[in-house]
Amino acid sequence: MSFLADIGHVLLTADLWRAALEAAALLVLPALGGVISERSGVVNIAMEGMMLTGAFFAVVADLALHNPWLAALVGIVAGGLMALIHAVVSIRFRADQIVSGIAINIFAAGLTLFLVQRIYGLQDVGHVGQSELLPYINIPLLDQIPFLGRVLFQQNVVVYAALVLLVLVQLTLFRTRLGLRIRSVGEHPQAADTAGINVYAIRYWAVITSGLLSGLAGAFLAIGISNTFVPNMTDGRGYIALAAVIFGKWTPTGAFIACLIFGLGQAIYDANSIIHVSQYLLSMLPYILTLIVLAGVVGRSIPPAADGLPYAPENE
Amino acid sequence: MATGPGPRLASAFRRVAGGFAVPLGSVVFAFAVGGLIVAITGGNPFAAYQGLMCGGLGIGCANGENSALQISTTIVFFTPLLMTGVAVALPFRAGLFNIGAEGQLLAGSVACTVIGIKFSGLPAPILLPMVLLGGTLAGAIWAGVPGVLKATIGAHEVVTTIMLNYVAQWLVRYLIVGGPLQASNGFSASSPIGAGARLPLFLPNDPGLIIFGLPAGVYRVHTGLLIGLAALVIFAILLWRTSLGYEIRAVGQSQRAARYGGINVARTIIVTMLIAGAFSGLAGAIQIAGVDHNLTDKYFNDTTGFDAIAVALLGLGSAVGILFASILFGALHAGGSVMQADAGISSSLVQILQALILFSIAANFLRVLRLPAFGRRPSAPAPTAPAAALMTEAAKAPTGETT
Amino acid sequence: MGHSRLKFLGVAGVALMLLAACGSSSGGGTTKTFKIGLVTDIGGLNDKSFNHLADVGLEKAKTDFKIQGDVVESKSGDDYVPNLTNFASKNYDLVIGVGFLMQTAVGTVSGQFPNVHFAIIDGAGTDANFNDLKHTNVQSLFFKEQDAGAMVGALAGLLEKQGKSKKPAHVISAVGGISIPPVNHYIAGYKWAAQMEDPGIKVLVGYSNNFTDPAKCKNVAVNQISSKSDILFQVAGGCGIGVLQAAGQAGVYSIGVDADQKDSDSSVIASALKKVDVATYTAIKNVVNGQFQGGALTFSIANDGAGYAIDNFSVPADIQTTLDDLKAKIKAGTLTPPADIPA
Repeated sequence: MSFLADIGHVLLTADLWRAALEAAALLVLPALGGVISERSGVVNIAMEGMMLTGAFFAVVADLALHNPWLAALVGIVAGGLMALIHAVVSIRFRADQIVSGIAINIFAAGLTLFLVQRIYGLQDVGHVGQSELLPYINIPLLDQIPFLGRVLFQQNVVVYAALVLLVLVQLTLFRTRLGLRIRSVGEHPQAADTAGINVYAIRYWAVITSGLLSGLAGAFLAIGISNTFVPNMTDGRGYIALAAVIFGKWTPTGAFIACLIFGLGQAIYDANSIIHVSQYLLSMLPYILTLIVLAGVVGRSIPPAADGLPYAPENE
Repeated sequence: MATGPGPRLASAFRRVAGGFAVPLGSVVFAFAVGGLIVAITGGNPFAAYQGLMCGGLGIGCANGENSALQISTTIVFFTPLLMTGVAVALPFRAGLFNIGAEGQLLAGSVACTVIGIKFSGLPAPILLPMVLLGGTLAGAIWAGVPGVLKATIGAHEVVTTIMLNYVAQWLVRYLIVGGPLQASNGFSASSPIGAGARLPLFLPNDPGLIIFGLPAGVYRVHTGLLIGLAALVIFAILLWRTSLGYEIRAVGQSQRAARYGGINVARTIIVTMLIAGAFSGLAGAIQIAGVDHNLTDKYFNDTTGFDAIAVALLGLGSAVGILFASILFGALHAGGSVMQADAGISSSLVQILQALILFSIAANFLRVLRLPAFGRRPSAPAPTAPAAALMTEAAKAPTGETT
Repeated sequence: MGHSRLKFLGVAGVALMLLAACGSSSGGGTTKTFKIGLVTDIGGLNDKSFNHLADVGLEKAKTDFKIQGDVVESKSGDDYVPNLTNFASKNYDLVIGVGFLMQTAVGTVSGQFPNVHFAIIDGAGTDANFNDLKHTNVQSLFFKEQDAGAMVGALAGLLEKQGKSKKPAHVISAVGGISIPPVNHYIAGYKWAAQMEDPGIKVLVGYSNNFTDPAKCKNVAVNQISSKSDILFQVAGGCGIGVLQAAGQAGVYSIGVDADQKDSDSSVIASALKKVDVATYTAIKNVVNGQFQGGALTFSIANDGAGYAIDNFSVPADIQTTLDDLKAKIKAGTLTPPADIPA
């Protein structure tokens, strides 16, 4: 059972937890998007596609503009545009939101691969230079704190942004009037409408925001953690984010806890060079852990009451 | 209005044709937009679609492709989709979203392989039913766990089935990459299953037999197709002609109402997931028994269960719909390769087409184009709205509590 | 009115097909145009690894010979047999399968089409038990990746021993994609040679279980760097680019694989070469010259089918001498890198 000792050793290193937080931040961005969208009443399972789109366009932009900030912006907007498709199809056309979400994911996968081959052909997509990536920033003074300094204050700029956004979204949703409006639109759109809230506008913006956040995550993945685009590089993270949303009962902090579990599992797996157990069993760790926590602690997840129902007031 | 047989026949025909108009129109819309995308980016849409038609349906092959071969490839591709499509569609009816069809399929494949290797000496009449049954049971269990968790503590099936998908994937790799099932030559695949565990092909694999100009062995259509078609029939009968089917649909409409009607909602949820997993596991077993004959690393990256979600949605959750949607997806899959070989267009175009078809069906864009949509009032929300059912009613506690 | 719409669709469909048929006219030339079909593995043409290299070989052959080269990317393992069969059924002059995952598929299809020539990279045409069927119409192109791995492993070992790496601590590492033979051959040669040159060396081996996502390999690499590895060998195709990137960001050295990856990152000091492009080109050339021969062809350091390149680095003279010496010994057969990873 020496692998348990190996895992124990690894868990004591600051590097592992830093990696776990980074992976969690990558996942929490689309999860926040999912929370916002669904709280407003629009089911959103398209995070995967929006993230992939953001990743692709961020790389293309960075290779052309040589500026990671502009490129990240491009990635964010690209995610938002993909979300706009979902918004229009779901809200304006009152389509089934699950179908639309699935369609977005398939569309993004096909479109990005298609464009890679059309634009770059046989050539590599190419990789972004070191100086043109979203930078890792060590926060002075704080990063010198033993252990925690490495974990919390030697991260990529997007990780800091993600943590800030996490707090922002949690507070906005549950402590501000805007948040109340969003949630009321998701629970009782009829009543919200009667109270003068523009249901459609709120829903559109919620969905677009989810796209912006997922696009940011994609940009982080492609020009922050990595330095190029590879077809399907998001590799199911959008679906993990979806699971996190539901696991977290449609709250930002709850979703973040799920993201941490996955991040931790991912980080432990990445240490398989020094953990002497089947890497395949190691890979199952985050998923089994989530199941256990879900079954034992989280239990029932109840979504917003009007989640998934296209808004169709009688007197329209 | 006259009420003779003539006008009634005409209106019945119109209803059937109308049922096809929306999906057919969506397909045409998708192909039109797809062609535009190809043209804009410098490709030749006609060559692309010719390749697609040829590879998918054996129509219009002008580069020496063999039509019969193409059709047989399409059939082999869509066979598992028939069953996995049911595996997703049936829970939809109960208000459950089974994203876990892939994991259930893998469970079935693993079980089939294990049984097929361990008992490889047994003769076909015993071994074949054993492996198929084994796969079915494995799939049922893989779906049953989320079902039970949902029914007892309300754990959302989207989360649990996604988790189990990954566990199944890694289990496959664990078994065949340096694991207990790996064949002795170290090639990240299992040994082949016994000869008795193989599903018979429609055409004998006789090297001397030439059919349609090619050796008979190239036509890999296997009897799993019949099982798949039977699965569709069973699905339709189950859903519409049994009391269980009635309960499933009732639970899908409203758990509260179903409970007041005396239906055991928890039991229905569990049974639904078990049956869904069974179908998917059967598909996995059939893939091994009919096509691959061993468990390979390809299963790690298999996407049949995910395609099944699109198939179930595109098929509007009905048996006939799933049949046609499966054929469409199988044809697109087969056509994509020929399209790339002949026209140089990446088969990613296939994914774009799939997405466009889904969008257009979901949104019923035809409405906007002012084409008459038979029997549908423009402002009504979509008649089958899995999203609505899933995310609201079904998530409510099986024991009757509300938000 | 439903009828007229259907009729329109029907006419449109036929019109489309006619146009398409007219579009693809077959030119009539006097000398034969050889038809070559290339079926890639699921990594696709942009895998920055052996699929890409095979295509490079095909493209070169297109410029040098009169051939029609068609490529199909397999999207999944389900596509191997159909893709190979498609080319074979059209009587292509050579059907090339890339990757050992296609072995049984090549074995099956080559058996059904005994008059079509096949070539397979990294494997043979086998039966379901992975035994070589030895079909005479199949040319198997094997590579001794361990030769290439050994050369870069020796370099790494020497640098560690002489303290000439960036943060020498006698620890180096390798990141593999999946624990499959082509990957493990590289790592086997790497570890063997490193241990030979620097007996006290520790070689960490990790797997990303992915050939396409750079972030996954980067994470494994970062872990290895934390465990003091300062020379990282990537054996993970497109995913492995993340290893190179991690090395660059940590200020240590990295080693590329399959193709010369000197431009992938400035931390790359060498690349282990597997000349898949040369092998592909050779196979096509043989067919064009009517010299196709079934059987196995092995590409190793002996015939320059595997090797190494120094990138972004100037090798000290004495190390270069040792490397040349090792290469000569492997060529001569006095030293043989193992195919399996040593303990």
